[in-house]
Amino acid sequence: MVSLGELREVVNWQEGLISPSVLFDKELYREEQTKVFEKVWMVVGHEDMLRKPGDYVTNYMGEVPVVVSRDMEGELHVLVNRCVHRGNEVCLFDRGNARAFTCSYHGWTYEISGKLIGVPMEKELYRDEIDHDSWGLEQVRVASYKGLIFATFDQSAPSLEEWLGEDGCWWLRNYVLVEHLGGLEALPGWHRYRTPGNWKHLAENFIGDDYHVIAATHVSWLKVVQEFTQKGYPIRRAAASIAAKRYEVTTGYLKGCPMGFGNMVLGQQAYEQDLALAEKIGHDAVEWVRYRNSRFQEVMKEYEIAPYSFQNGAIFPNLGLMGFLSPLAGRQFLLFHPRGTAEMEQWQWTMVEKEAPAIVKEVAAEYAYRGQHMAGTIAPDDVENQERIVEAMRAPRNWRKPHNYRLQLGHEEEAPQGIPGQVGPNPSEINQRNFYRFWLELMEA
Amino acid sequence: MLTLEQKREVEEFLYREAFLLDEMRFDEWLDMLSEDIEYTMPLREHLQGDVEPAGHPIIKDDKLMLTMRAKKHETGLSHVEIPRSLTEHIVTNILIEDGDNPTELRVYSNFLVRQARKLRDEAWWAGRRKDVLRREDGGWKIARREVLLDSIVLPRGITIFF
Ligand code: FES
Ligand SMILES: [Fe+2]
Repeated sequence: MVSLGELREVVNWQEGLISPSVLFDKELYREEQTKVFEKVWMVVGHEDMLRKPGDYVTNYMGEVPVVVSRDMEGELHVLVNRCVHRGNEVCLFDRGNARAFTCSYHGWTYEISGKLIGVPMEKELYRDEIDHDSWGLEQVRVASYKGLIFATFDQSAPSLEEWLGEDGCWWLRNYVLVEHLGGLEALPGWHRYRTPGNWKHLAENFIGDDYHVIAATHVSWLKVVQEFTQKGYPIRRAAASIAAKRYEVTTGYLKGCPMGFGNMVLGQQAYEQDLALAEKIGHDAVEWVRYRNSRFQEVMKEYEIAPYSFQNGAIFPNLGLMGFLSPLAGRQFLLFHPRGTAEMEQWQWTMVEKEAPAIVKEVAAEYAYRGQHMAGTIAPDDVENQERIVEAMRAPRNWRKPHNYRLQLGHEEEAPQGIPGQVGPNPSEINQRNFYRFWLELMEA
Repeated sequence: MLTLEQKREVEEFLYREAFLLDEMRFDEWLDMLSEDIEYTMPLREHLQGDVEPAGHPIIKDDKLMLTMRAKKHETGLSHVEIPRSLTEHIVTNILIEDGDNPTELRVYSNFLVRQARKLRDEAWWAGRRKDVLRREDGGWKIARREVLLDSIVLPRGITIFF
């Protein structure tokens, strides 16, 4: 077992040598639930999931079940889904619209805002002495950035924007939440599945592991798509441009909350490829791809380099991003919820660009559920790796030799710069090192 | 009204299908599907009150996509099926109704599928299917299949057919 005092030695991110005990040590896992999950801002949903007063979705923050709701006045809340009387779960649905939740145990009733509004036989039994203000559902601190909702258990945490950093906000605003295109639309529904492995391992996979995509994990699918395309089958699936050169982007590099944006491409080759695909889909798609590109160029004209898109990414700690490579791809937001050292649940939802034409939304959604999705052709291969890792790592003796995170060590800045964040070579393990840098900081705090 | 003979024929057809799936004879399985098959698996959720339905399903495949899925595992590089899963499709509760036209039948069935992977990992899948079978070239083809899995949080990713 690793003690906190030894942690610095086993998480040698500077040298890219990190022990697998950070994934599998049970004591570290318990520590992490407090030191990481009670300290950070975490994504819990998107405002478009809650369009009407009374709308809610349930979710988790670490192991804590929460309800993300919009109250009758339109205010956002994140509530711990636990009756304050005796700990019963009060909201039992995945999502819904309701004015209040009534606990099934003794019938205390809470408004969708979390306020305690009903206690059976309050007068007779409690002589009206319950202070309703202090016995509501626990409110978690909530804030949203351009529609993306975050929450933190830490009342003393910096403001959300400060936490995300200027560079992080720039990437979120322009390339994730596409403010200049009218934002994103949520396609309702959590898509969820159990996954072996430690939550950090998938988070690090999304934040920076573009090595596995081309080297081994996903080659079977890439091969099939290529074969069928060559044979002339009508495939309307966006793909990474083979011609475009790729980079990794880091925000919160060496300081603050890490975000990574992988497979970022510059120039117009990927655009040309998307345009060719849009032509197969139809007039509306072509118009959208064109319009979108010109809007991006306007927004980016003051910068020295102009990213066209990125493919995958992550926000520390447990949000993964996928499907940002093309206007014809669906935006996927994936939460890796911890369920012990060697198990997690993936909860994901899909978004499309709100102002895109219907056919583009349809193609984009299809891209999402046929790819990085529990029944897709990409994600199950990722999960397979996790399953094998868990099997190989059961014995603590196998944690002694650190894992190798040394890819592009010392070459972090060898890429064209000129936009917020740091651009680095691809593939690399810069973002993974930066991920564990911050994790260590939190664990040692 | 279906004759007993016809009922037996449909049941036999579904058992044959399950047999081919468990034997991983996917080319022959694909031949049991019509060219215009729609194979869908809706998202199961617990919803309360007045909310929009799920924005997209778990699976919505045409024959091309089903074929590509099968071919992926034949590349020899599809890790999620190396080594291949062992599956048993138990198909029961078969109900047959007249279809929308004389060449079609509605067929309902329940299934229990056990999937074993490698040393220990296993998953149990339970659910129902709502099929449309169509008479083509003197035999039956599956023209539509809706798979209703009884899982809200899936036990693992899906790489097999139901
Ligand atoms: S536990 Fe909820 S009312 Fe008692
Ligand atoms: Fe992957």
